[in-house]
Amino acid sequence: MFFQKVLIANRGEIACRIASTLHELGIRSVAVYSEADRGALHTRVADEAWPIGPPEPRASYLNIEALLEAAKKSGAQAVHPGYGFLAENAGFAEAVERAGLTFIGPTAEQIRAMGDKRAARSLAEQAKVPVVPGAEGDDAKTLAKAAATMGFPVMVKAAMGGGGKGMRAVHDAKDLAEALDSARRIATSAFGDGTVYLEKQIEHPRHIEVQVLGDGNGNAIHLFERECSLQRRHQKVIEECPSAAVDDALRARLTGAAVALARAVRYRGAGTIEFLVDATGAFYFLEMNTRLQVEHPVTELVTGLDLVRAQIMVAAEGKLPWTQDQVHARGHAVEARVYAEDPARGFLPQSGSIVRLRWPHGAFLRVDRGVEAGDPVTVHYDPMMAKIVAHGPDRATALARLSGALDETRVHGVITNLPFLRALVRDPAVRSGAFDTEWIERAFLPGFESVASAPAPELAVAAAALAELLGLATPARTPHEANGVGAPAASDPFVTLGAWRLPGLG
Amino acid sequence: MRARYRDGTRSRSVEVTPQGGTSYRVVVDDGELMVTAEPLDDGRLRLSGPNGVIIAEVTSVGAQRFVRLGAMDFVLEREVAGRARDGAGGSGGLEAPMPGVVTRVMVQAGDTVEKGQPLLAIEAMKMEHVIRAPRAGRVSKVAAAAGEMVKGGVALVEMEAAAE
Repeated sequence: MFFQKVLIANRGEIACRIASTLHELGIRSVAVYSEADRGALHTRVADEAWPIGPPEPRASYLNIEALLEAAKKSGAQAVHPGYGFLAENAGFAEAVERAGLTFIGPTAEQIRAMGDKRAARSLAEQAKVPVVPGAEGDDAKTLAKAAATMGFPVMVKAAMGGGGKGMRAVHDAKDLAEALDSARRIATSAFGDGTVYLEKQIEHPRHIEVQVLGDGNGNAIHLFERECSLQRRHQKVIEECPSAAVDDALRARLTGAAVALARAVRYRGAGTIEFLVDATGAFYFLEMNTRLQVEHPVTELVTGLDLVRAQIMVAAEGKLPWTQDQVHARGHAVEARVYAEDPARGFLPQSGSIVRLRWPHGAFLRVDRGVEAGDPVTVHYDPMMAKIVAHGPDRATALARLSGALDETRVHGVITNLPFLRALVRDPAVRSGAFDTEWIERAFLPGFESVASAPAPELAVAAAALAELLGLATPARTPHEANGVGAPAASDPFVTLGAWRLPGLG
Repeated sequence: MRARYRDGTRSRSVEVTPQGGTSYRVVVDDGELMVTAEPLDDGRLRLSGPNGVIIAEVTSVGAQRFVRLGAMDFVLEREVAGRARDGAGGSGGLEAPMPGVVTRVMVQAGDTVEKGQPLLAIEAMKMEHVIRAPRAGRVSKVAAAAGEMVKGGVALVEMEAAAE
């Protein structure tokens, strides 16, 4: 049997998204909020909301004691961690279980093992999943031989290093000995340990990940891949399912490797195995994320399956809700992340109050949002406001729909990255699928920056002056003018009387 | 009506002269536009000119003007006469680039600093931004302490340029 009440240990769009599935299942949802999030959308869509402390994440959303206290007071039987915050904190998973509650996620052991890069790498190797080739040793000759086997370019890295210190790319065998010497010197002076190792440098990699689902007893299935190569400074911007770079043969190898690893660790719940894929189709294990991913909606649109529902079913019954044969992919989905950051000024995070807001509407669109008009965007948390996702029978249609949806979106009051997203989805390289994880910074940003800093058209300046002259620029006090499907207005008495709402009536 | 708007690094001038009814003569910088402007619901404005019709939506937040024109967005800033901002100058304040929490203060008043030297760090939305000395000089004042919440645009460090 499912739970009657689940606490969502998160905020923003992901808390709203989890509440929506709980609601659908007839499970009562418990939101938590910091002082900065009093009255936030995620507290309005939940059946009840409990305060957990000051705005600083350490004191509230990362405060295990406060979260368990809220769970106890509300009578929740299970905790969903969302992503970020405590989602991959083994101590939290343990504390939840120790309090007699169910943690909707993997075991603490699995979180711990996958959180340790070297342990994760060795688990992958044991499951015969390819990892980035590497070599260790003191002998320059042995390392040179290993480098020749794995192929140049290689990276020389300090074993105890971090922050890129002592790291160096070597493109030719003749430069290796000198690079090893210099890396050892730097490593000795910087880390007090001159041990270095080699790793093959994957050139122009694509980031492709596989969604898996395990029952905790050794059974696991996959829900195809997602491509997340469109990143800016390692921050994913646009994600899609399936990948334009993956054909059926590569898909079979990627998903096969991912399922093998999930089975080998007897993985429980939803997880994602990330790979780097090079131009030849060779792929390498990067890491495993032991949680729901930000970009999970593209998988949901393509498979028609609800991953949060699956997480809850695995947690409640220890069974996979579907067999592999029941999972089918249909069409293509693309997601764009709307951030409160200024693309014309180095993507500086923005804050403020959303004065006017319109999310896009359409039969093939989904908007996972954490804010509505009238809501503040504060400095305390991640600047992601919403994810706009479009589905279509093929990639071109999905991208065209996403492009239209981004055009339709209007956010006034807080500067967003919408102009960046709109330019990105129109770029010929994005349309043709010819990109890698460094493409945005290498090829797209230079051109975009000159467009972003160009003067506004005269008509835009004229419109500002005319609106002011006609008294239109200051909006009337209607904070909830824009409410999308499934997000009732706060003036709705059923919401303000949240605790009285009957399941299924919202 | 005359106004100036800051558009990125530029200052744009605009003059609107009503021509009767919904017609206006608008001069932006040196370019003249003849438009009709009809207010619609929800703060929208139907603009028609020789090139066709476009819907504009303008929202005012403090000095900021969020302008949506068709499917394009711009953010302008209304400039107040006589108070034009001047960021250039041999000395002066270093402002918080955004609202946030000061996490580290690495200098104190009286310190001599090199160009590019980190002065203090602000954290907002999980990202740390380091404010660096734009030139060599001496710190004359530090107006924030670690742990303090600051608003965007507030002067945090005052510097005097190094003597020649």
